[in-house]
Amino acid sequence: MNYKFNWALIFSGEYGRWFIDGLSVTLQLSGLSIILALLLGTLLTTMRISRVKPLVWLSVGYIEFFRNTPLVVQIFFWYFGSDPLLPEFFKEWLYRQNIEFATGVIALSTYTAAFIAEELRSGILSIPKTQLEASRATGLTFLQAMGYVILPQAFRIIIPPLISQFLNLIKNSSLAMTIGVMELTYMARQVEAHTFHGFEAFTVSTLMYLSLSLLVSLAINQYNKRCLHVRSR
Amino acid sequence: MTKMWKVALLMVVASFFLGLPGAFAGKLDDIKARGTLIAGVKDSQPPFGYVDENTKQLVGFEPELCAALAAKLGVKLELKPVTSATRIPMLEQGGIDLIAATMTHKIEREEKIDFSITYFPAAQKLLVKKDSGIKSVADLAGKKVGSAKGSTSEQNVKKAQPACEVVSFETYPEAFLAMKQGKVVAVTTDAPILLGIRNSDENPDNFAIVGEDIAAEPYGIGLPENDSDFRDFVNVTLMEMWKSGEYQKLYDKWFGEKTKFYIPLTWQMEVWP
Repeated sequence: MNYKFNWALIFSGEYGRWFIDGLSVTLQLSGLSIILALLLGTLLTTMRISRVKPLVWLSVGYIEFFRNTPLVVQIFFWYFGSDPLLPEFFKEWLYRQNIEFATGVIALSTYTAAFIAEELRSGILSIPKTQLEASRATGLTFLQAMGYVILPQAFRIIIPPLISQFLNLIKNSSLAMTIGVMELTYMARQVEAHTFHGFEAFTVSTLMYLSLSLLVSLAINQYNKRCLHVRSR
Repeated sequence: MTKMWKVALLMVVASFFLGLPGAFAGKLDDIKARGTLIAGVKDSQPPFGYVDENTKQLVGFEPELCAALAAKLGVKLELKPVTSATRIPMLEQGGIDLIAATMTHKIEREEKIDFSITYFPAAQKLLVKKDSGIKSVADLAGKKVGSAKGSTSEQNVKKAQPACEVVSFETYPEAFLAMKQGKVVAVTTDAPILLGIRNSDENPDNFAIVGEDIAAEPYGIGLPENDSDFRDFVNVTLMEMWKSGEYQKLYDKWFGEKTKFYIPLTWQMEVWP
């Protein structure tokens, strides 16, 4: 093996800044997608457990469809496949924007929402049905009962699986590089292509993902413990 | 008994390391002893190197260049498909004897391998829609340009036009699709590759290759590091082909007026006296 390690090269010149830029795009991409995925996931769960049949079918169809197709195919579909469906005047405006980043957010949030919806549903099912009936009996509407009584408890229960969904989303965000979003993995590959030092470049990006993921799960666990007073079992 | 095993193992390991320098006795001798020249070529880059639809064989300008080298040595030719990412590691590990795979001769690459003289003077251009109104790099200001990851093209176009935004895809066909859909206004890379993409479309006439040379991309044959005899052989053979007119004949076959990839032969190969 005549590979010469050169760690200084990775941070010299522009390369260090590329990593920081990439990390910042990864953070924006994941942050926006997490918020949208939570909102969409909650909506899907509410539809799923409502008694309105068409809403239930819609929600089940959505969840099964998005959970059971590869994310990278969905990304390509949103980016390349959606083209013929969009009206011409809208396209012209849209494509001048940062359509790559926007597509990344759409793909990641719609995909993750399906998983969050299933987890939230199991959280809700773990809360005795009598609570919903009791809240309805006090005069709350279905949505009020969900919002004030059931969901706050369900979210608390599903925090551990929710963390792993967040972590999955952060890691999945690297797939956005296939459509040219300049996130962390994209930048690591750029550095590799320019320096031919793949080992160093990917070690740096691996460590960045690792610290990011550990920070996220630490933060949520702390919030869980301190603010919600949930004892870990 | 176990001690004997350890000694034996140590000797095997030691001989492995000691044996390594012996492997570098010279590629020319290796090739002659083996009776075959193993060349790394592209398998999806018409007309440089691609799989023929009918015969299912690897053909193209570069395979035929390698065939001429093998003929000169009096050995058989074996072609191995490589990609831009695998070609240098494969040469370093000895899996192939040389690389003839649209590889730009760059100083950075000299760190790992050696290069022959230039055998094809590619230049970076723009592929645009005919009605796009884009004539040169200057028109790209504030627009999005497609390219492929890891290529020199992205960096060069950014240098030539700092006000453009480069979107890099996995492959050039994807960049081309994004251009057809209007997500980027141009695709940029070496002109011969652009010609290949353009001609793969149903209506090649809707697209045009425009602009000044954004950067020179001289293709050289990649050779093992520090093997002077082998490099001399390849360089001299290339020059002899140029002087005898064999090169021009080969060029005409793949890039001549009658082909889909017409690029006029306007350069001179470097010929040493």
